[in-house]
Amino acid sequence: MSTSMNFSTKSFRPRPPDKGAFPLDHLGECKAFKEVFMKCLRDNSFDNSKCRLQSKDYLECRMDHQLMAREPLDKLGFKELMDRPPSQAEKESKP
Amino acid sequence: MLLPLLMRPSLGCPQASVVLTCCVRTLRHYSQAKCFLRRRQRNTGSQEEEWHTKNRTVLAYIAAAGVGMIGLSYAAVPLYRLYCQATGLGGTAVAGHDAGVVETMTPVKERLIKITFNADIHASMQWNFRPQQTEIFVVPGETALAFYTAKNPTDKPIIGISTYNVVPFEAGQYFNKIQCFCFEEQRLNPHEEVDMPVFFYIDPEFDEDPRMARVDTITLSYTFFEAKEGQKLSLPGYNPISIRSMTV
Repeated sequence: MSTSMNFSTKSFRPRPPDKGAFPLDHLGECKAFKEVFMKCLRDNSFDNSKCRLQSKDYLECRMDHQLMAREPLDKLGFKELMDRPPSQAEKESKP
Repeated sequence: MLLPLLMRPSLGCPQASVVLTCCVRTLRHYSQAKCFLRRRQRNTGSQEEEWHTKNRTVLAYIAAAGVGMIGLSYAAVPLYRLYCQATGLGGTAVAGHDAGVVETMTPVKERLIKITFNADIHASMQWNFRPQQTEIFVVPGETALAFYTAKNPTDKPIIGISTYNVVPFEAGQYFNKIQCFCFEEQRLNPHEEVDMPVFFYIDPEFDEDPRMARVDTITLSYTFFEAKEGQKLSLPGYNPISIRSMTV
């Protein structure tokens, strides 16, 4: 794969994740949220920007069921969803 | 002095005179040569000294160069480390990767990047491991969620551990995972299927790097290995050699 014996060629060094590993969802508690998210992706031709709300819901589900350390949403990059959730929810619920 | 006396019989014996002149000539040459040699010897003496000094100087220079080389080879170790940190050559982590950047970063909406997903398993690993989406379109500075799924079709629990790879390699330094399922043992019970999420973002500085100007597709590849009971695997930050030997 990526040997590091070459000086000039760049090699890849895997980095550990910032907040560690997700515990496995053995009981499928957040499977429903995942399905909603995947459906949103498929409908929007896999554009992540359009499915931010669903990904936020999935992560909140994980936090509720102790499958993820609870963090404020802006630390997870959902700052814009926190600022105006009502208008966003309106936009999502309209179509 | 004897010459005039010798010259008189030359009138009588021409042969003797020839021999005589020859002798005189030889004597003269010999005396001249002796003088020359003596002069030469005097020069050689000083020249030898000169050469001697020259030799010593050259020897001193060579010795100094040798010592300089040895010193340089010792100094090269910290210098190379500094150079690698400054330029990011050789894959060392570029200083300045800050976990707190997630809160303050703004998405760069003009730059759309396609992330493709790949899943691999080791030959002896019996899980069915695949991504749930083949690709996803993200922009730098925006967090994204992606899913893999793994199923254990066998009748006994299997513990797996995974590592990842990002292609192109240079883009790997901008690919930051907030949370994923790698580098930790994951246990799947018999006939169990789970969703494995990856929560990541691309650093907004990706857009400003001139080397990344032509990069539009990044491939994230995960590989699962079977973890033996009781085997401890350290995080890549502490002991990268174990991970490298795993992936190679």
